[in-house]
Order: sequence, then C-alpha cells, then structure tokens
Amino acid sequence: MFDVPFSRRAMLQRSAVGFGSLALASMLAETVTADVRPVDPLAARLPHFAARAKRVIFLFMKGGPSHLDTFDPKPLLTRDDGKPLPFAKPRVQFAPTGNLLRSPWEFSQYGESGAWVSTLFPHLAKHVDDMCFVHSVHGTNPAHGGAVLKLHTGSDNFVRPSMGSWVSYGLGTDNTNLPAFVTICPTLAHGGINNWGSAFLPATYAGTPLGNASVPADQARVKFIANERVSRTVQEREVAALMAMNREHLTHSGPEPALEARINSFELAFRMQSELPVVEDISQESSATQQLYGLDDPVTANFGRMCLMARRFAENGVRFIQVTHSDSKVQWDQHSDLKNGHAKNALEVDKPIAGLLQDLKTRGLLEDTLVWWGGEFGRTPTVEGSNGRDHNPEGFTMWFAGGGTKAGYHHGATDDYGFYAAVDKAHIHDMHATMLHLLGLNHERLTYRYAGRDFRLTDVEGNVIHEIIA
Amino acid sequence: MRLSILILVAGMMCSTHIEAAEPTPAQIKHFETHVRPVLVEHCQKCHGAEKQWGSLRLDSTAALLKGGDTGPAIVPDKPDESRLILAIRQTDPDFSMPPKGKLTDKQIADLTQWVKDGAYYPETKATGKPTRDPNHWSFQPPQWPVRPVVKNANWPQSPLDEFTLAKMEAAGVSPSPRAGKRTLLRRVTYDLIGLPPTPEEMTAFLSDESPDAFARVVDRLLSSPAYGERWGRHWLDVARYADSNGLDENVAYGNAWRYRDYVLQSFNADKPYDRFVVEQLAGDLLPFADDVQHAEQLIATGFLSIGAKVLAEVDESKMEMDIVDEQIDTVGRALIGLTLGCARCHDHKFDPVATADYYGLAGIFKSTRTMEHFRKVAKWYEMPLPSEQTRSALATYQTQITEKKAAIQQRVEQAEAALTAGEAVPAKLEDKFPAETQAALKTLRAELAVLEKSPPEVPTSMSVTEAVVADVAINIRGNPLKLGDVIPRRVLPAVRGPAVPSFPVEHSGRKELAEWLVDPQHALTSRVMVNRVWRWHFGAGFVKSVDNFGLLGDKPSHPELLDWLALRFIQDGWSIKSLHRRIVLSSTYQTSSDVDPMDLERDPENRWFARHTVRRLEAEAIRDALLSVSGQLDDAQQGSLLTVKNRAYFFDHTSKDLTDYSSPRRSVYLPIVRNNVYDFFQLLDYPDAAIPTGDRPTTTIAPQALLMMNSDFVVTVSERLAARITHEVTNDDAARIMRLYVLAYGREPSSTEINTAQSLLSDITTATNAQQAWTSLCHVVLASNEFIYLQ
Repeated sequence: MFDVPFSRRAMLQRSAVGFGSLALASMLAETVTADVRPVDPLAARLPHFAARAKRVIFLFMKGGPSHLDTFDPKPLLTRDDGKPLPFAKPRVQFAPTGNLLRSPWEFSQYGESGAWVSTLFPHLAKHVDDMCFVHSVHGTNPAHGGAVLKLHTGSDNFVRPSMGSWVSYGLGTDNTNLPAFVTICPTLAHGGINNWGSAFLPATYAGTPLGNASVPADQARVKFIANERVSRTVQEREVAALMAMNREHLTHSGPEPALEARINSFELAFRMQSELPVVEDISQESSATQQLYGLDDPVTANFGRMCLMARRFAENGVRFIQVTHSDSKVQWDQHSDLKNGHAKNALEVDKPIAGLLQDLKTRGLLEDTLVWWGGEFGRTPTVEGSNGRDHNPEGFTMWFAGGGTKAGYHHGATDDYGFYAAVDKAHIHDMHATMLHLLGLNHERLTYRYAGRDFRLTDVEGNVIHEIIA
Repeated sequence: MRLSILILVAGMMCSTHIEAAEPTPAQIKHFETHVRPVLVEHCQKCHGAEKQWGSLRLDSTAALLKGGDTGPAIVPDKPDESRLILAIRQTDPDFSMPPKGKLTDKQIADLTQWVKDGAYYPETKATGKPTRDPNHWSFQPPQWPVRPVVKNANWPQSPLDEFTLAKMEAAGVSPSPRAGKRTLLRRVTYDLIGLPPTPEEMTAFLSDESPDAFARVVDRLLSSPAYGERWGRHWLDVARYADSNGLDENVAYGNAWRYRDYVLQSFNADKPYDRFVVEQLAGDLLPFADDVQHAEQLIATGFLSIGAKVLAEVDESKMEMDIVDEQIDTVGRALIGLTLGCARCHDHKFDPVATADYYGLAGIFKSTRTMEHFRKVAKWYEMPLPSEQTRSALATYQTQITEKKAAIQQRVEQAEAALTAGEAVPAKLEDKFPAETQAALKTLRAELAVLEKSPPEVPTSMSVTEAVVADVAINIRGNPLKLGDVIPRRVLPAVRGPAVPSFPVEHSGRKELAEWLVDPQHALTSRVMVNRVWRWHFGAGFVKSVDNFGLLGDKPSHPELLDWLALRFIQDGWSIKSLHRRIVLSSTYQTSSDVDPMDLERDPENRWFARHTVRRLEAEAIRDALLSVSGQLDDAQQGSLLTVKNRAYFFDHTSKDLTDYSSPRRSVYLPIVRNNVYDFFQLLDYPDAAIPTGDRPTTTIAPQALLMMNSDFVVTVSERLAARITHEVTNDDAARIMRLYVLAYGREPSSTEINTAQSLLSDITTATNAQQAWTSLCHVVLASNEFIYLQ
C-alpha cells in the first residue's frame, strides 16, 4: 500500500528542510523502490524486482480483429465451411450467428519459427521471429464498451484506473518534462477517458491524450500545450511575472506546501511546453525512416505517423504509450463484409507496425520495450449475416514483441474451430499480470488504498504467464 | 435451506466427535509431513487467512467443517462425502481443484487418509485486529457528550468552540488569531456561495462595525440562490450526478438535470435533511398536495436512477443485479458511510455486513423498477411529470388514437355490410372490398401507425417506481445464476438505534428503508451528514474518510463534537442552514491561516483545527470566479444546457465531441458527461461521477498550469477583464491596477505591487501594444496562487 503523494506531512517536512525543487526531490527519489512513495509522485522508481521491460507500447486495434483471419488458422473451419458448429455456443452472445464461415484469406508459414500468418499481414509476417503470440486470450464481456474497459482497466462494470496509470504510478517516469503516459488518437467511445484515466489514483498518473480518434495524426496535440494568442517572448515575460508574484505571495503566507507545489507545477509546465512539441515533431526523421513507417503512402501515413511518434516518445523516456487504430468509418468490427473491412484495416496498420518493430530493433530499443498488439476481443468462427463475424471474447490472439518476451514463440491455443480458448488459457487479467511482471512489478503488490481497501489492476485475479518470458 | 441446516448440524455433531478423539502421534506426523504442506502449497493461497474464495478457508478444523458457499469442506471419517476430497479427485469438471493442474495420486491418497482418520488439524491462536466488530463506535447511536472544561474561557463563542479548544489544549496547540475582515469575507463568501465577494460587499462589510456584521453577512449569503448552486453541488458529488450513463455506450441522461435542479432548490429551501433523504429514496411513494409537489417527489428519486450503468451488457440478469448493486452501494456510501457493495460476493471483510444482509437490501431495490427494459441497448425508466398540460396532451393523444381506430372499424363494418350476403367467406374478407375502400383503409392504418409511434412530448423525469415485490436469493459469489437462500427484505442488523421495520408484501420497502435511515436514533445518518458539512467547510472531516465510517475508515478526531453536532442537527429539525450558522459563527471557523512554527510542528496536518487550512478552490469555483471578476457570469438559474437529445449518444465511433461548454452560466449547470468530463473540470480534480465522493482530492499537476497558461477560456477571460478595467477606470494605470486587485483579490495592491505591474505593462506594451499588456497583466493575476487559494 502506498501513501497518497503530496501528503501534507511529507510536503511540510520537505519544505522544513528547504528542499524546494522538484529536481532535487527526484534525485533523492532515485533509490526509492515502487513500494515507497517519494515526494515527487512522478519521480522514477525502482521496480519490485529486475525488470525485463522499461516501457510499453500498446497498439490497440479498436473493434476486435479476427484471430481466425490473421494469426490463428483453423483447417477444420475451412473444411466445415457452411456446416453447424459441432458444439454449443456461449450462453451469452452479442448477436445471433449461423454456421461456420471459413476465412477468405490464405495462410502461409513464415520465419524460422514457422508462424502462420494470413495474406492480410505481408509486412508483419517478416517479423514473426521477433513476436510472441498468445493464441488463448479470453475476456469476460462480448460488448465493445465492457470489453474495451476490461482490457484497459481490468474492470467492465466499475470505473478503475487504466493500466497505463497503474504503470506510471508503479514506476514514475524517466523524463519529468514529458507525461509518463501518453495515448495517441484514442477513441472517445466505449469507455472514453476511463480507458486512460487514473480513476481514484492521483490525477498525475492519468494518461495524456494527443488528439482523439476523430483527429488526423498530423493534427493530434496535447491540449493546451501552446498559447496560440501570444508570442513566446510575451509568454516568457508573463510566466516570469507570475513566478515573482507567487513567490512574493508565499513570503506573506508563510511556508505552505500547496502553494510551493503549484509554483513548481508552472515551472514544469513551461519545460513541458518546450520539449513536447520537439518530440511530437517527426520532421526531423530521415525520409528512409519515414518510409519505413509508410508515411509516403496516404493509406498508411496516418497510422504510420502515430507509430513513429510512439517510438520517439519511447526513446524520450515516456513509460506507457498507447496507439489506437480506430478509423472513424470502418473499425475492426466486421459484423458484415468481413473481407473488405479487414482488408482495409490491415492495409492501414501492417506496414507501420512492421516498421515500428524494425526501427525499435535497429535502435536497440526492442530489448527493453514491450510492444503489445490486440483488440478488445476476437471474432466468431460462425457467420453473422452472410459475410460477417460477431464479437468473440471466448478465445482470440494477441501478440507481444520485445520487452523480455520469447521471440518467435506461440503460447496457448483455441479449439479446432477457434471459438474458445482451449489450451493454456490466458485471461485479460493474466495479460495484465504478465505485462506488470515484465516491467518488474508484482501485480499483487502494486496496490492503492481507496475507500477502505487496497485495489489492484488485476483485482483478485491474474496469473503471470511465465511460459512466454524469455 | 433445509439441506444446508442438516449439513451444518451434521457438521456440528462431527465436530464434537473429533474433539473427543485424541490424534495419535502417527496421525500428527502424517498431517505435518503429508497434509499440511499440500494444503499450504495448493489450497490455502486462495482458501486461507488472506483470501477466502467461495467463502472457504482450509486452515482450521472449524473452517473445514463450516466450509464455503457450497457447503462443508469435509465430513470427518467420510472422504467420499467430503467436498474437499471430491474436488481434488477432479471427477466433476465443474467441481475441480486446484484450478490449474491436479494433485498427484499420492497426495490425493494422503488427504483421503487424513479425512478418513478424522481430519485432525492442530489449533492455532487467532491473531490480527478485530474485524466485523459490532461494537465499532459508528454503529452505536450518538450520545450527548459532557461539555468539556477549557482553560482559555474567553475564546469559545459557543459549545462547539469548547470542544475544539479542549482538544487543542490537550495537544498543546493554541488557536490562531481571528482572521482579518477581508480574509473572513472572502472565505465565507466562497465557502457559502462559491463566488468572490464584490468590491461593494467588501466595502460594506469593512465599514460595518456592528457586532452582528458577520452574522448578517452569513444570513445574506444563505438566502442567496447562489447558496444552493454551491452546496447543492457538494451534494451532487455525493449523489454521483452526471448527464450520461458513462461506462460503455455513453448516452444522454437528458432529464437528469431535473434532479440537479431539485437538489439546488432543496438546499435553497433548507429542506430538512431527513425529508430530503426520504424523498430521494421513496418520493414516488409519498402523499402529495398538488402536481408541483408530486412532480418534485418523483424527480427526487432520480437519485437512484442517475448512476453509471453498462447499458449494452449482454447478460440481462447480470445487468439487473449490477444496477441493484450500484444503488445499494450508493445508498451505503452516500447516506451512511458504509461500503455495502463489498458484501455482494462475500461477507464484508471488515464491517459486520453479511452477504445475507446485502441481499436483504437487494430485495428492496429489485422490487423497485429503475429500467424500462434490459435488452441491449437497455432503456432506463422515465416518468411523465404530472401537470394539467401533460394530462391534457396525453388525453388528446389517447382520443386521437381511439378516433382513428373507430374510423377504421366503421369503414370496415360499412364495407362488410355492403357485401352481398350468402357469398362464401374468403380467407381475407377485405379483398372483396371496393378498391376505393381498400385504399382508404390503407391510408387510415398508415396514419394510425404514425400516430402510435409519436406520442406527445411531455416532460419526463428519471424516476423509479414499484416493480413486482419479491425477496431475493443470495447470488453465490455474486453470480446471479447460482442462487442460495432467499433472504427476506431487511435492514442492516449491525446498525443500532432505530426499531427494525417490517417490510410489506405490497411495497418494495423503500419507504420503510428511508424512514429507518432518518430515525433520530440511527447511528450513522446524522453523523455522516454533519461530518460531510464540516469537511466542506474546513477541508477535512472529523472522520477523514467521509465516505467510510466502517472499520477501515478513520477514527473521528473529535468524537464528542461529532455527536454533539449530530444531535443538535436533529434537534434543529435537520436544518442544514442552521448547521452552517452554528459552524461559521464559531471562533473555530474564524481563525486565520497563520500558524506558529511550534504549533505547526505539533500538528502539521491541522487535525485540531487550530487554524484555517489554506485551500485551493474547486474547479467550479475557479471557473465561476473567473467569469465573475471578468463581468461575464450569467446568473440564470435552472434548466438544461445539453445539446444532445435524451437517450442520444454523446459519442459515436467518430469520437467527435458535440458537447458545448461555452455557456457563461455557473459551472453547476454545465453538462457532466461521464467518460468525457469537460477538460477544465477534469484537470482540476472534478471527481469521478461513478461513486459518491465527499472528499474531493486536490492535486497540483503541470497540465493544470498549462490550462491556466494556454487555454482559450482563461485567455478570453483575461481579455474581458482587461476590457472591463480599462473601460471602468479612466486612463490612469495605477488606478486601474488598484481596481484589478480589488476585483480579483478583494484587496488593494501595495506600492511595490503597483510598480511591478507597471513594469510588466510597459515591457509588454513595448513588445506588442497596450491592449495586450493589460490582457497579460490580467492573465497573470488570474493565474496566480492568490486568486485560486483561500486563506
């Protein structure tokens, strides 16, 4: 259990001995581990045990990409196309579905690991030897809202802190001039800000959004990061005057930690305002790098830009970076027209993600960056309408890369038709526990006391999937 | 029920049996070498001291015999009847343990042998702090305390001050001197109405030397409609108010604002708190004198309906119980400071609230109708508000439908009569009608269909009503498909004081529950509310965990004063305004925030209220103050500012934000969209409207500074303030700076401050122009600590 940062007592003790600057406080905090709260709530903290990953890039495919058409081929599904599912469907389903529907895509094996990948992901297929597939993920909720919330917060019916906020709470940040947790173009539907919010964790751990799903990536900015009305010179003069006034006020009011903290927050904000646009600005990247992410092609440019920004945030010390693919017209939610919808979505993300993996690897970042790909659920092997698939939280594929996961590895399996997770089942809670473990955090120790009890990302669930750790 | 009693009795008999039988040394050795290690390694992590999955523990004889949700774990001597043994044999896939893997055959044989030998388990002594303690202080009714004796007899202005001073004297701290008049007026004005005092109010108060000057200020503030906008807002935090369902789908609660306005009006009318509680839980069941009162009482029950809901929950039985759970949890936290939701799946871990108690309450809410239907996307229930207009609109509509149906009927009958008698009756008689008649019928029926789909739009409110009254069965481990004993509706047996109500078969029992809650003898209701009000005045309650008075909550710093205030509150007819007067007219409230270094050392957290803690204004008060000093605030009351229709989506898949926050109305009237709270509020610690919050946190983070530096709203306000000042005061910089300080801070600037401001003005005028310079100066003043912190 942690104390709330900025407790009055801690602050008073700090000012009493004259430590006024955040920088010093974070220096002092460097030796502090995740169980002890430093004065600066975002100061970097040592994990519970040796970490394999220092940061996370979560590539969220909103809508629910089909495992059966991407990474989990089922020969029996092809053979029995049009026949009834030979076992019972779940008690609770989102929409009625009919008989089995084979995948419209062909699969081939790639790499030394021989991973099966469909023709939807030709670029990504070249990186399977760096990827670690979990084919037996399952969740609890067959509707978008509940499933998206479950994936992001561990709960589908209560407001709980998002996983990124748990991670920044647990580890702080290596660069206090940037937010610890950013989310690029997140969707505002289906949980909205709860998916990056901090709920009852202190607000400082909440994710900082860049734009949202309705904003093109090249216009996605952190809100209020710049003052459009005055020049930098004028603003510098304003901030200097404000600082002087606040310090003058402090001498009259006597030592008051809340007031001091607010003075510091303006200093930090001003630094953030200078540094963040530099990190967001991808124009400094070589054209080769830009092409690697598909920025030269209008189809891949938008998601490519998000992936490239993610890499820049990663190398600048941001702890948790989420990138969301949530097209405003066709998301990964093919209740009908599976073929065209999935083809369009895969085309938009395939090259950018492959580029990101390659770029991270080239720069030596993949080793301690955990990349995580997936949607809120998979899709049914049975047909919805004539050519679609329904939501399926019972069994689907997500994959990791880097960050201490086994390269070219496959964990778990669904049944012969891909409806249910069947072998080595991995619940969303287990995925959370594993992610935290790779970051050096014990998911049972990373707790926060609120309203009378200790809360965790994994609630009372979660088992670390040790088999996938290298 | 009967079966479990039998098993329990059998278990008790067996327990006598094994206590009598002394274990042999061989049995002890067998247990220690072959049984205990298996239990520790494979079972007790989930069924032991730390966790009790399925309410089951496997670490003592008593626990083994008591068992869990499905019954006793063992029957001594009878392994084949012992659930523990059946589970580890894993013959039934639905009843298999451990959850991952299977014990070895040797281990299964060892455990079987152990049960066969009587399941010896050595006794261990109980340790740890008491839990579920029915004697916990907050479950006992408040008692009139003895008034304490204090040394500094001159300081107290009321018994309240005697209680606080006694604690200060015991702790060796002394009260700070009385705050200056400017500070006091600023403090009490923000505190009671959430706005800064105007320069005129300041001047009037400063020049009023009469002894009751402050008391008259307090009366003026309490009778201002702005009071309800401030204190009603506090209650809305507790009522987890919002204008959307949040969580998954986020559609508009297009009528929630009526509940908000009801709360504001109730505070302004000083509605007795007991009445306020009863109306919110059971307003629909109360008698009424006229339509207005009837409507008000229906709207009040919105309290039960406005919670966050998962409307696309596919599992309808789960959704129904989730909504009941949300209501129980809200009633628990908001009204009596208990986390009742914990008992949905297991007995409360810390408070004396059993799962059965929870389902006793669940029966009340399950017998209440909150939803029109549960099919995704589910629809909550709304009630037409009674009025002459509504009744006449509905009657007219009904008449139109009846007339239309009659016209169709008449036409059919005429045509039938015209058909030649004796003809064979065809399958569809109408096929024989003349073409003209058939066409007319088609038109008439189409018109009827349109009519039926378009009932008149009458005002409705989010209200609850009675459903089929039924007691509820325990949902074992919270699973609505696994049912245990049916629990008759009841109130919490652990809370002492009021007589236990009986629940009628013809009503849900909400009224009985509400009346039990506001019984003057109730141990929690009055204390929790008095503590909340104190928290909102001082920034901290006597019980710091204002929403949790249970065993894990904080102990009260001033138990006697808490009881005294609670009992006086009841004596004053549950009048909240009287409570305000009692508090703000005390010496305790009127101390300055200056502090002696020694006192600071002794009481850094100001637990004894010897000084007034410096506090940041809440999000709403900051925004209202910015609008107010820049002369833009629109003080119109009531009504909705939603731009999205009732039940319409705030967001579809495009993520486009259609909500408009540009209104210059007070913050309490701006839409509260769960999942996407207005960023000005969100950044400044607006609470999550998912659960009741009586203790908003105050964080200080860089994004707040960015908001103050760069947001369009703050820059625009600065421009307007600059325009106001340059317009109001003639062309004299010093006088204008003077006016700015009076408006923003309620005081005049020092000569140094005037000089500093002038040098900023001239710097920026040189860089740009005078207009920008004034905007910049105003911006700096508004972004400063002095503007948003109260002394």
